[in-house]
Amino acid sequence: MGPVPRTLELFYDVLSPYSWFGFEVLCRYKNIWNINLQLRPTLIAGIMKDSGNKPPALLPRKAQYLRNDIRLLRQHVQVPMQFPKDFFSVILEKGSLSAMRFLTAVNMEHPEMLEKVSRELWMRVWSRAAEKAGMSTEQAQVLLEEMSTPKVKNKLKETTEAACKYGAFGLPVTVAHLDGQTHMLFGSDRMELLAHLLGEKWMGPVPPAINAKL
Amino acid sequence: MGPVPRTLELFYDVLSPYSWFGFEVLCRYKNIWNINLQLRPTLIAGIMKDSGNKPPALLPRKAQYLRNDIRLLRQHVQVPMQFPKDFFSVILEKGSLSAMRFLTAVNMEHPEMLEKVSRELWMRVWSRDEDISEPQSILAAAEKAGMSTEQAQVLLEEMSTPKVKNKLKETTEAACKYGAFGLPVTVAHLDGQTHMLFGSDRMELLAHLLGKLQVHGELPLTPVPPPFISRPEGQIQSKKKKKFYAFPTMKPHTQRFSGLNGEKSPSPS
Repeated sequence: MGPVPRTLELFYDVLSPYSWFGFEVLCRYKNIWNINLQLRPTLIAGIMKDSGNKPPALLPRKAQYLRNDIRLLRQHVQVPMQFPKDFFSVILEKGSLSAMRFLTAVNMEHPEMLEKVSRELWMRVWSRAAEKAGMSTEQAQVLLEEMSTPKVKNKLKETTEAACKYGAFGLPVTVAHLDGQTHMLFGSDRMELLAHLLGEKWMGPVPPAINAKL
Repeated sequence: MGPVPRTLELFYDVLSPYSWFGFEVLCRYKNIWNINLQLRPTLIAGIMKDSGNKPPALLPRKAQYLRNDIRLLRQHVQVPMQFPKDFFSVILEKGSLSAMRFLTAVNMEHPEMLEKVSRELWMRVWSRDEDISEPQSILAAAEKAGMSTEQAQVLLEEMSTPKVKNKLKETTEAACKYGAFGLPVTVAHLDGQTHMLFGSDRMELLAHLLGKLQVHGELPLTPVPPPFISRPEGQIQSKKKKKFYAFPTMKPHTQRFSGLNGEKSPSPS
């Protein structure tokens, strides 16, 4: 038997574009590196509130920068991201509470679906093309009902608090558990550093899928 | 004759730790990539003021994160960075106005010295926790970089002239015009397009834009590129002496970091 896989927790919110970049890169590497990737649906609005931080897009120059950064990164990371037309309405008014509660319920009842459903939700918010995630109508209905139960609401709260306890002031946050140490990395641009900490090979954001399990 | 080198402008301030990371990585790549690296001394306080942004360290969780991020990155990027003991005093009270005016003067009179003098100022404030606001401190950094005392004195006087003050202002405004809200900012001029990249963590994206990446290539993408590892005269110094921080192998390019073996700068701190 080989060495024990190292646990990586990814705290993310589908409202966060950089969370999507981080998510895709880690999903690509989860079958290449010796890791156990645990997806943790989190509420970015809760992180902002608890840390005293503000969404970067509220500063005009950061909003402008974000647009360009995403436009360049989507090519480099190969994720079909598009800035929503009514960006401020999407991010600041509508938010992601229902979506993240839904994903929390998915994680509790059908964790094997979490990756696909998360991706589907990102596609809806951050991409023009939306695909079906493969969940049956019945399954989805049950989860839609579960979403508003205290059990699910509390679970989302707990996960968000866990991220805050790790020191989060935004998302995505990747927590690597290595040799008794815990490293919290913020942003989708710390993956090369993560590889360095894991002693794994970094092959860019689009590694060859030679060892990918289907 | 080969293809024309692409111009990269690096806007930086020695007060900014991430500027140091970005600076070192680009200095390592400037002789590997087909680029013309133009260093632009900038005032980060001016960027903050103009953009309405605030130094990240003012938010407690960001300050905590910064400490850890720098501790991890210094190993990975191989830059001997140390958090100053009285961080807030250094960053928020003392600032970098004199240092950046001095570097502006260096850039105007002795541009070939700009890289070394910049590095020596970073070594003072972000490695040895030494002052960079007093004239003697700046003089010491210039001398350590190889400037004569006379040359450095002339520049110390020039620092306060309108010519130099305005030049620093102009450079800071140029960065703002590119959309800067912090530093470092790398501006790449490629095929008639201009790309502004913020942070020391956009170097891989920069390589991609320059067309330098071998996506599935043999070489690992790294902030410490190979020619610096395989230089023939380089030695693995970690076997001989305990370094600033113990690594299995110290790469030869770290020889550019003066005082790494505990030598103290002779000037007052």
